Amino acid sequence: MRLLLVEDEIDIQRFLRTSLEESGYEVEAAPDGKTAERLVGEGPFDILIVDLGLPDQDGISLILKLRQLGVRAPVLILSARRSVDDRVRGLEQGGDDYLTKPFALAELLARLRNLLKRNSPALNEATRLRVLDLELDLLRREASRGGELLQLTQQEFVLLEYLCRNAGRVVTRSMILDKVWGMRIQPDTNVVDVHIYRLRGKVDGNRQQPLIRTLRGVGYVLKDR
Amino acid sequence: MSLKTAKPIMHSAAWRISLWPTLAFAIGTMLVFVFLHRFVASDIQRRSDAWLSGEVQVLADVAERTPKDALYDRVVGEVAELAGKEVPNKDLSEGTSNDSVFFLQAGDNGSLKLWVGAGTGEPNLRAIQTRRIVPDHPTDLQVKGFGVPFRVASTRINDGSYIYLGLSERDELRVLRSLRLRFVLLWLLLVLLGFGIVFFTTRRMLSHVRRITEAASTIGHSDLGARVPTTEQNDEVGHLALTLNRMLDRIENSIHQLHTITDSLAHDLRSPLTAIRGKLEMSLSASTQGEQAEPIVSAIEELDRLTDFLNKSLDVAEAKADALRLTRSEIDLGELLRVMTDLYEPSMVEKGLQIKLHSIASVKIEADAALIHRMIANLFDNELNHLPTACTVIVRLKTEDEVTEIIFEDDGPGFSAEVIDHLFERRVKGMESNGHGLGLAFIDAVARAHGGKVIATNRESGGARIAVTLPLAGKEPTRPPIAANHRAN
Repeated sequence: MRLLLVEDEIDIQRFLRTSLEESGYEVEAAPDGKTAERLVGEGPFDILIVDLGLPDQDGISLILKLRQLGVRAPVLILSARRSVDDRVRGLEQGGDDYLTKPFALAELLARLRNLLKRNSPALNEATRLRVLDLELDLLRREASRGGELLQLTQQEFVLLEYLCRNAGRVVTRSMILDKVWGMRIQPDTNVVDVHIYRLRGKVDGNRQQPLIRTLRGVGYVLKDR
Repeated sequence: MSLKTAKPIMHSAAWRISLWPTLAFAIGTMLVFVFLHRFVASDIQRRSDAWLSGEVQVLADVAERTPKDALYDRVVGEVAELAGKEVPNKDLSEGTSNDSVFFLQAGDNGSLKLWVGAGTGEPNLRAIQTRRIVPDHPTDLQVKGFGVPFRVASTRINDGSYIYLGLSERDELRVLRSLRLRFVLLWLLLVLLGFGIVFFTTRRMLSHVRRITEAASTIGHSDLGARVPTTEQNDEVGHLALTLNRMLDRIENSIHQLHTITDSLAHDLRSPLTAIRGKLEMSLSASTQGEQAEPIVSAIEELDRLTDFLNKSLDVAEAKADALRLTRSEIDLGELLRVMTDLYEPSMVEKGLQIKLHSIASVKIEADAALIHRMIANLFDNELNHLPTACTVIVRLKTEDEVTEIIFEDDGPGFSAEVIDHLFERRVKGMESNGHGLGLAFIDAVARAHGGKVIATNRESGGARIAVTLPLAGKEPTRPPIAANHRAN
């Protein structure tokens, strides 16, 4: 996966490059719009990360310019602004995504994956999800572990489904709030933790192998091996 | 948007402004007409009196000189009748009928000696006798059987008898009546015309003011860049428009300045925060989730809190200046509260609190979704952070004609006396609170930015009550907080 990272802050560029490369991306970095345009001309990219505040031009203008140059790859917009620009919303509706700074790495990676998936040919939507001995029937909205039916509420099922779809990867609290409850908020209480705690009680109980793992300071992982 | 066209015309300022001059004008012209009427009336009377005095003298002469024989009555009668044909103010169309004049000669003893006129003359004589008419001074005389009084002149002739000449005031009154009618019509016409002219000029002038008001009321609602219409005239209204526009320039500048400052502050702080957070996360994944992970984890958490504080601080600062930028979309508050309650219930239960959501219907508002979500999360966080175990929180949504109220009530200790008056100020928090003291200030800021308000009180039965009022979709007030139409910086 070739990724173009357009970010002028050297510190941010450096740690992003490292962690993106760790996740298997082949990263080219550009500190400004001009370099980005040149790099795009040299070879195709699968995905782009563009910061809005570039030294030589506005990130949005750059994206629009690249689109005109024939770049089809999805873009993840990074913004240090407080509010979401109408033009960013426009791009979001056009299939791109945005993330406000500061962000959790896990969330950045998840959004990149989503963008790539969204832009690849649609797979047949599965009606069953299986992670180790955990099985979710999406049609009947039932979950079972080791053949034993789990008594989940509607909300818990949606949460578990989200964890299963991201099995093996870290999901953060704000990702859970965004995807399960549909809001980008930052509660100063541990609301998400309590939901996970309850779900874990039902899914793991006192079974031998716990599935839901907490990564403190980062988020949660549903183990897939 | 029209503010005044719906108002009845009688409530307009133009109406009130034109009413007083019109009243003064009406009274003035009325006085002039009354004076004119009196002048004309007395002139008519003087003319008829002169005629009467002259004729009565002529008749007295004739009566004196005519020998008292059989022909006397006839001669004097003829002369009297002739005189009656030259009556002043007489309506020509009435022609021959001559009941408007009478001639009467009365003897010394009060007997009727000669009568020329309509009827027998008896009532006239009786009226004359009761009235006691002084010679040479024409007097009004009411005679039984006649609707209108007579003007009577008299003189005494040598043989001791009296001669009376009476002229009905009918013609005189008719002339005056028609004069009055014309005066009143003319007066009405003048007053209406005057009122019309004043009213329409005032209204035209005020319509400029109204257009300015209408334009000004929409500015700030949609965008601060718009200006009120200016006229080319260099008058007071033109000055008003120019002054308003200059004021708007200054406000727009200040707001723009504020946005620039808050945005660059946010940007300048967020970039290093991003870098720090990234590095912390990298070192966290490098080291295992062991003991040395603990300080890194808490540093990340502190960093997130700092970010949240930064966001809220800037939002509150902008909202205090009525400059919070909104991206409105339709939100179903009822649905939102249900989802939020689902989200917060486990945490509440965990803390030994009970939460009840009361009869929530679908209520639509036009608002900034991100801000409203954060505001409601804050309301829940507030309860979660401050209530002791075993309390109950009741969440309700009350909708009246144009507003909806999000009400949070609990049976906890309520607000303490020292903070209740300063709840919405920044950095005010209870002694045992561990928040950053921005929660309620933020709630207030969001409500204000949407044209609503927050009221926090202690319930009579104990416990706190926070009510957030927001206007319903399509019912936003005309005085909205200033909001730029685009959110770019």
